[in-house]
Amino acid sequence: MTILRDVAAELWKMFLADARLSFSILVLVGLTAIASGFSALLAGVLLVIGMPVVLIAVVVRAARS
Amino acid sequence: MFDWATAAPAIAAAFLASVVEVVEAFTIVLVVATLRGWRPALLGTGAALVVLAVIVVALGPLLTLIPISALQLVIGTLLLLFGMGWLRKACLRSAGVIALHDETAAFASETTALGVEMQGSTAPQDWIAGLAAFKAVLLEGLEVAFIVVAVGAGRGLLWPAAIGALAACVAVLVVGAALHRPLARVPENALKFGVGIMLSAFGVFWTGEGLGVEWPGADLALLPLGALFLGTGLLAVRLARKEALA
Repeated sequence: MTILRDVAAELWKMFLADARLSFSILVLVGLTAIASGFSALLAGVLLVIGMPVVLIAVVVRAARS
Repeated sequence: MFDWATAAPAIAAAFLASVVEVVEAFTIVLVVATLRGWRPALLGTGAALVVLAVIVVALGPLLTLIPISALQLVIGTLLLLFGMGWLRKACLRSAGVIALHDETAAFASETTALGVEMQGSTAPQDWIAGLAAFKAVLLEGLEVAFIVVAVGAGRGLLWPAAIGALAACVAVLVVGAALHRPLARVPENALKFGVGIMLSAFGVFWTGEGLGVEWPGADLALLPLGALFLGTGLLAVRLARKEALA
C-alpha cells in the first residue's frame, strides 16, 4: 500500500507539482481548444505566445515570493 | 524506417531526461549496495525494471486504440505540465531562488534514512534495503516511461525513444559502477533546463496538432519552438534573479 501511495504521489508531483503553473496551462489549453473551433491559426498563435508568457509569469512570481 | 529529423529530438529528449532520472535512482541503489551489498540492490532494481516493462508493454498497444488527434492532445498537455514544471524548477535553481540538487547530499541523507528505517523494523534488513531500491527505480522509472511514451507515441517513435532511454541507463550504470560513488558531477540543472525546453516544445507541438494546427515546416517546427522556450527560459532566469535581489 505504501508503494501505491508513493506511486500516486510521484504521478501527482510529475504533472501537478505547482498548482498555479498546472492550472494556467490547463486553462490555456482549454482556451486553445475553444479557439481551434474558429481558427486553427488562432489556436497555434495562442499556444506559441501563451505558454512562454505563463512560464515567465510563474517563475517571476515564485522568485518574488 | 524513421525520419532522423523527427526521431533525433525524441531520442535526445528521452536520453537526456533519462540521465537525470537514472542518476537519482542510482544514488539510492548505491545507498542500498553500500549498506547491505549488491544483492538486494540488484534484486530490487531488477524487480522494478520488470514492473516498468510490464507497464510499458501493457500500455503501448492500448495507445494505438485511441484516435491519433485525441492522443496528441492528451500527451501534448501532459508534456506541457511535465516539461514546463521541469523548466520552472530549473529556472528558479539557475536564478539562485531555490537550491541546486546535490547528489552527494542526497546520498548522505538517504543513507541515514535507510539506516534508521532498518534499525526500527523487525523485517529482514535485506528485504527493507531491496524494497528501497525497488521503490527508487520504480518511481524514477515511471518518469522515464512517461517521457518515452510521450515523445515517442505521437509519431510511432516508441522504439527510438526507448533506445535513447536505455542508452542513458547503460551510460549511467557503467560510469556509476566504475566510480562507485554518487554521480554528483552530472550537471543536473543544465540537463533539466534542456529537457524542460525539449518537452515543452514537444508539448506545444502535439497539443497544436491534436487541435488541428498545421505547423509551418511540419516536424521541423520543433526547432523554432525549442528556440522559443530556450529564449523564454533564459529571460525567466534573468527576471527571477532580478526579483530575488530586489
